[in-house]
Amino acid sequence: MSSGFPKAAFRNTPVSVVVPFYLYASVSFLVCTLLLFVSASSFTLHYFNPAVLAITHGMALGWASMMILGASYQLLPVLTERSLWSNKLAYGSFLLAAVGIPLLVYGFYTFNMGWPAKWGGRLFLLSVIAYLFNIIRSCRTDKRINIHALFMVTAAAWLFFTVFIGLALVYNFTWPILPGNVLTYLPFHAHAGLLGWFLMLIFGVGSRLIPMFLISKHSDRRRLQIMYVLVNTGLLYFLSSFYLNLPYAVLIPAILTGITLVLFVGYIYRVWKTRIRRKVDQPMQVSLLSVAIMLVPLGCLLLLSGWWISGIEQSRVVLLYGFIIFFGWLTSIILGMTFKTLPFIIWNDCYHDKAGVVKTPDPKELMSSDLFRLMSLTYLPGFLFFSAGILLASVFLLQAGALVLVLSALLYNLNVGKVWLHKPRV
Amino acid sequence: MNVITNHTINSTIALAALEEVLDPEIGLNVVDLGLIHQLDFDESGKRIFVSMTLTTQFCPMGETLTEAVKRVLERTFGSLDVQVDLCFDPPWTADRITERGKSFLNR
Repeated sequence: MSSGFPKAAFRNTPVSVVVPFYLYASVSFLVCTLLLFVSASSFTLHYFNPAVLAITHGMALGWASMMILGASYQLLPVLTERSLWSNKLAYGSFLLAAVGIPLLVYGFYTFNMGWPAKWGGRLFLLSVIAYLFNIIRSCRTDKRINIHALFMVTAAAWLFFTVFIGLALVYNFTWPILPGNVLTYLPFHAHAGLLGWFLMLIFGVGSRLIPMFLISKHSDRRRLQIMYVLVNTGLLYFLSSFYLNLPYAVLIPAILTGITLVLFVGYIYRVWKTRIRRKVDQPMQVSLLSVAIMLVPLGCLLLLSGWWISGIEQSRVVLLYGFIIFFGWLTSIILGMTFKTLPFIIWNDCYHDKAGVVKTPDPKELMSSDLFRLMSLTYLPGFLFFSAGILLASVFLLQAGALVLVLSALLYNLNVGKVWLHKPRV
Repeated sequence: MNVITNHTINSTIALAALEEVLDPEIGLNVVDLGLIHQLDFDESGKRIFVSMTLTTQFCPMGETLTEAVKRVLERTFGSLDVQVDLCFDPPWTADRITERGKSFLNR
């Protein structure tokens, strides 16, 4: 019965590879909230403006993608049951992205589509290629590929596609290589990233980690397979509609995505109902909030797919849609998951050889619960004020919301710093 | 929770000692979590064989837990050599958690 697994079978990705991603993402979040404050009035204009583009890319790449890249390097062995193929390549992907993202954001903020945006885009694309290659090599196995790994690899492929299209759009400002109006490509670029990259990865990771954290027996591979097919079909239909002039180009993908989201929420609900661990900690509560927030952008999307709104209202709904996704859904899941993962990564590094020898602190003690509570309390009103500011085109509400979000980001950074700088007590 | 053993008395001592080893994420010890499958004591009295599992095969805390189990048993049984093997067949399920463990998680 004993299979005697070698220790190498569960080798963790080193802290030195993972933690830089977390730290970079934390600082990016703070920078983006500051940009939100100084550029609040830009959110009363059409969504295609330099400040909104800069903040969107800062949030999508600097905050969400960097955090997810770091976490996925750490979680890959848990999801795929394989060790990471190359730590050096993972670190290389960090360096490329770390240099590329500020250049790209600066390029958008000053609307300089010359060398800053081009080099920023090139470096980030190289980073994504390194990530994709590393993930594919890590998932290579004789066994039947598991659904979580499939979500992860497909998400990485969509990320590559998103960044490739994005770089083509940047080049298009200098050399018109894409036919037609550049604005027509934005929805696909955005949704390949939002649904293909973020949503797919969150499905793959969430469906594995949430039952693990809550200790639930619930597992439904079939449902996950259906979700995988639906979300990819929706995206491919959306892409095809550009070239084949298909009907209901927004409505059909929105419905397919909606069904997928409802299936995921149902999956998490079943996990919640069958959990053995009754008491749910603060970070997990915030992460579960994000599962509910997921459904809000869907309402915006269905609103946008109709004929009943146009002009200024449509632009505001698009802005709100993007804001809810980046500052609501993605941010809330990251705020929670940071403190479900980072304290354990640091704890494992500090106390790996001391467990069982001396009494060690609880990993949760590495973070400050008070800072976390304050961060959560400031985050929600900041998010709601800013959302109301977008809908009402009120600069006062936008600035008030942004200021509270800056405070929330500061508290988040303080807590991340506290965990990172933890010194072993024994 | 059923732990297979060839030495009831030593096994009781070992399991009591292993209650010190906590899963850092869950806060529950490895015995009540049902991670220990088998404890065998070499007839010559020089070696302990431990067969244990993890809540998930690639648990990030896996190495920390197996090393902690080894260290605790070495400390408890003095000069005995401890060999810890990981076994994932059958895989761990929540059914392996003891009643005491379940009541801890329900708090």
